[in-house]
Amino acid sequence: MTGLPLHAPPLWRQVLPYVALLGLALLIYFVFPDQLPMAARIAALAIFVMSLDLVVGYGGLATLGHSAMYGVGAYAAGLLAMHLTGNPLLGLLAGACAGALLAFLSGLFLLRYEGLTFLMLTIAISQIAQNLASKLRTWTGGEDGLSGFAIGKILGLASFDLQGRVAFVYCFAAMFICLWLMRRLMASPFGLACVGIHQNRQRMAALGTRIRWQLLKLYTIAGAFAGISGALAAQVAQIVGLDTLGFELSAEALVMLVLGGAGNLWGALAGTVIFASIHHWASTLNPYHWLFIIGGMLVTVVLVPRERWGQALARRMQVFRRAAAPAGGSS
Amino acid sequence: MLANILIDGIAYGMVLFIIAVGLSVTLGLMRFVNLAHGAFAMTGGYLAAWLVGEQGWPFAWGLLAAVVLTGLLGMLLEALVLRRLYRRSELEQVLFTIGLTFLFVATANLLAGPEVQLIPLPGWLKTPVDLGIRTLPAQRLLVIAAGLAVLLLSAWVLGRSRFGIWLRATVDNTGTAAALGIPVQWVYALTFGVGAALAGLGGILGAELMPLEPYYPIKYLVLVLVVVAVGGMGSITGSAVAALALGTIETASKYLASDWGSLFFFLSMALFLAWRPQGLLVARRA
Amino acid sequence: MGKKMNWLGAALLAVGMVGAAQAQTVKVGIIAPFSGPFAHYGTLFRAGAEAYVASQGGKLAGQNIEFVWRDEGGPNPANTRTLAQELVVKDKVDYIGGIVFSPNASAVAPVIQESKTPMVIFNAATSDITTKSDYYIRTSYTLWQVTVPAAQHAAKKGYKRVVTAVSDYAPGIDAETAFKAEFSKLGGQVTESIRMPVRTTDFAPFAQRIKASGAQAVYVFLPGGPPNLGFVKAYQENGLRQAGIEFLGTAETDEFDLQKFGDSALGLTTLFHYSGARDSAANKAFVAAVNKQNKEAVINYATVGAWDGMYVIHKMIEATGGKRDGDKAMAAAKTLKWESPRGPVAIDPNTRHITQNVYLRVVEKGAGGLLINKEVQTFPAQVDHGLVK
Repeated sequence: MTGLPLHAPPLWRQVLPYVALLGLALLIYFVFPDQLPMAARIAALAIFVMSLDLVVGYGGLATLGHSAMYGVGAYAAGLLAMHLTGNPLLGLLAGACAGALLAFLSGLFLLRYEGLTFLMLTIAISQIAQNLASKLRTWTGGEDGLSGFAIGKILGLASFDLQGRVAFVYCFAAMFICLWLMRRLMASPFGLACVGIHQNRQRMAALGTRIRWQLLKLYTIAGAFAGISGALAAQVAQIVGLDTLGFELSAEALVMLVLGGAGNLWGALAGTVIFASIHHWASTLNPYHWLFIIGGMLVTVVLVPRERWGQALARRMQVFRRAAAPAGGSS
Repeated sequence: MLANILIDGIAYGMVLFIIAVGLSVTLGLMRFVNLAHGAFAMTGGYLAAWLVGEQGWPFAWGLLAAVVLTGLLGMLLEALVLRRLYRRSELEQVLFTIGLTFLFVATANLLAGPEVQLIPLPGWLKTPVDLGIRTLPAQRLLVIAAGLAVLLLSAWVLGRSRFGIWLRATVDNTGTAAALGIPVQWVYALTFGVGAALAGLGGILGAELMPLEPYYPIKYLVLVLVVVAVGGMGSITGSAVAALALGTIETASKYLASDWGSLFFFLSMALFLAWRPQGLLVARRA
Repeated sequence: MGKKMNWLGAALLAVGMVGAAQAQTVKVGIIAPFSGPFAHYGTLFRAGAEAYVASQGGKLAGQNIEFVWRDEGGPNPANTRTLAQELVVKDKVDYIGGIVFSPNASAVAPVIQESKTPMVIFNAATSDITTKSDYYIRTSYTLWQVTVPAAQHAAKKGYKRVVTAVSDYAPGIDAETAFKAEFSKLGGQVTESIRMPVRTTDFAPFAQRIKASGAQAVYVFLPGGPPNLGFVKAYQENGLRQAGIEFLGTAETDEFDLQKFGDSALGLTTLFHYSGARDSAANKAFVAAVNKQNKEAVINYATVGAWDGMYVIHKMIEATGGKRDGDKAMAAAKTLKWESPRGPVAIDPNTRHITQNVYLRVVEKGAGGLLINKEVQTFPAQVDHGLVK
């Protein structure tokens, strides 16, 4: 379920997905340059959904308020660029710190609760943040959004161009690094402890794990990554709106996560790509049709869980093998 | 000022209550997280708008028909689809019903377009009623009266009627209830249907405060969930108290501090939940 | 959505490439809400724009026009910027038009500036948008433009105490600032400035606050669609007029929702730049053309904003011979003066905003018993007072 192997797979298998991802990026860059702006946005959003996976997939905490960390990260990066410096990497740092801080402070309160209560309280936090941002118009621009800040050259090399090339390289690199970091983290003893808590809290408590403290660390780390994602989005778009703190974003991220499969981070990436692509493509046909498609997909994914797809496939493979080796016999 | 806040707050709270009570019962009874509940409210409103607005039915008949039809739709949905999901995890129920909600939204747009649907009120509902302290349209008084009626009726049904006994038995221990000959499947279906019908009623009565348009189920989902969570799953009086309290707080903040938006609503909600995580009137579990 | 037009455009393009046909295609990207509570704007922009092209015989300055429609949704500046970027980079449009929400309009500034793509704003009404890039032109209105005459009217009617109630975002704040500035200059007093959150659906609390303020009139601005409808209903249902508080609005009696108010809307006063019931030859021709294109389209300020916007694009195409030349197009656009369905208009070369008449209108019963906004007084040639002080 969480995709953690009992024995470490051979090195080539560990590296293969990353290489494939790099290949995909090169493909988009050279063969589909028209899609670069869209691809940059997807890459930035993927970090957000992956950070949600840490909390939901690995930690087992269903949350609908994750956008709060994304939004404060976005505003932090925007405000930094507006008032202090347009250095993009510092902006990412600001975003990470803002997201982590909010996650830590809210986590102290939230993690006392479970289930529906926890879920509702996460919604409350993000709604409070959104309403506060709307009130503090002079800082955040309120309904009109925070704009008019310029982002400087990345590493002193290149500034954002209209074609979206630099934005894509920047976002993709960030996503690649974050993905690798998160996977390393969740394969470490810390990550395994979190999965353990998800699977059986009592057992972990009996082993001496300080449950709330572990979950708080996980939540804070996830908050940092969410903040990075928000900061990236803010820098690439050069504008931050109140929707970065909204409920819709949290709900959409959860849908993306589930569509792709929670618990191994690759699913989060896949889900983001699928959802964003469908949304974009279907919207150009008719702005409501994407709801039919995504709604239908969600309904199907739940009614026919992935295990069944896997089983159906395995059965087909068996039949195929039997057919290919009729004299051999059993498997 | 205070009178205004109270009256408007109670009216708003009653709408929230009527819509939320069905969700609270299904959540508490069947432990089924149905995030598509708002879609029933929207369906009731749309049906009423169509029957009364386009087909020219008289308001009372249109309201009755819309509510009953929504209830039947709820029962149908429960029997055909939702029943299979009872044993699934909460997350899967959440996601399925979100998908269902999306389908409702897209269908509403397909059938009726993206504009706000208006339910034409008959003259007697539009006339302002002078209460001495304040004039308000009769429609708001109807909302408050309806809320009270729903509260009293559901309390009576639960406490005194046979169905209420069946319902409470099924909640306490489904296996034993079934063994005793209570038609558990019917209890589920009927309860779900009534919840959906009430949501439809809320959607119709609340159409002035919460305009009917395709995104309705998504927009107001959070409000309904808040009422249910704060009031306690399965507690009807809890939902009523939560709805009235939160509705009044939201209205008060509109009068006194409108540039803070809904901040106080969510702050109060967080405080209520922190104080009583199981719900306002539900006894603390050990 | 855009399928029919794209078919036509693609077919013509194919013919153009195969044969020796001289007609080329000019691509115009239109960003508007096609989903959500403001989706009617998208429909009306489309009706107005397509009707204009049809009225010119299907081609503008000898060029075929291909529209590319994109959904703005609601106020979502980051998304709108991406849409604009894609229109320029991927779809390679020559002109961009549309945009309802001010934050969305401001967000595309870097894109149009760098790519030198002229952008004609069909609706977004905050004054400072056009200052953010040299390639903006606006054919709608600004709040300063319509509010200054409103304040003058209020002073002339002898009001001394007025309360303002606006939606809490840039255009609303423009309206509040403009009214306060002009009204105070003329000796009046704004007793309270109420700001209503954009997401508000229930306006009764605000109506009660206005009632309790003891003012003689309330000056109002909200975005068109459900907020307008909700506010006017609250005004009526809470007996504000009976309490002696006159209504002074902008677009609240928008033709889109006007009939829904019923007879209780009779007598409501607004100051705005366009009334569908305007009795002029240009307007009658416009109404006929739009009806021919789309029988159900409402004729209001959004429709005419798109119509006049396409006129400007038409003239820009003419000036550049159908070639992509942002600077030449803008230079030509700044000199335009014409008779629009709304009255005589011109593009102000300094602000790149449309100079137009603002009319005092009263809701009356027109032909066939339908409610109309009857123009009773004209404030001629108003500029964008927010930028031209």
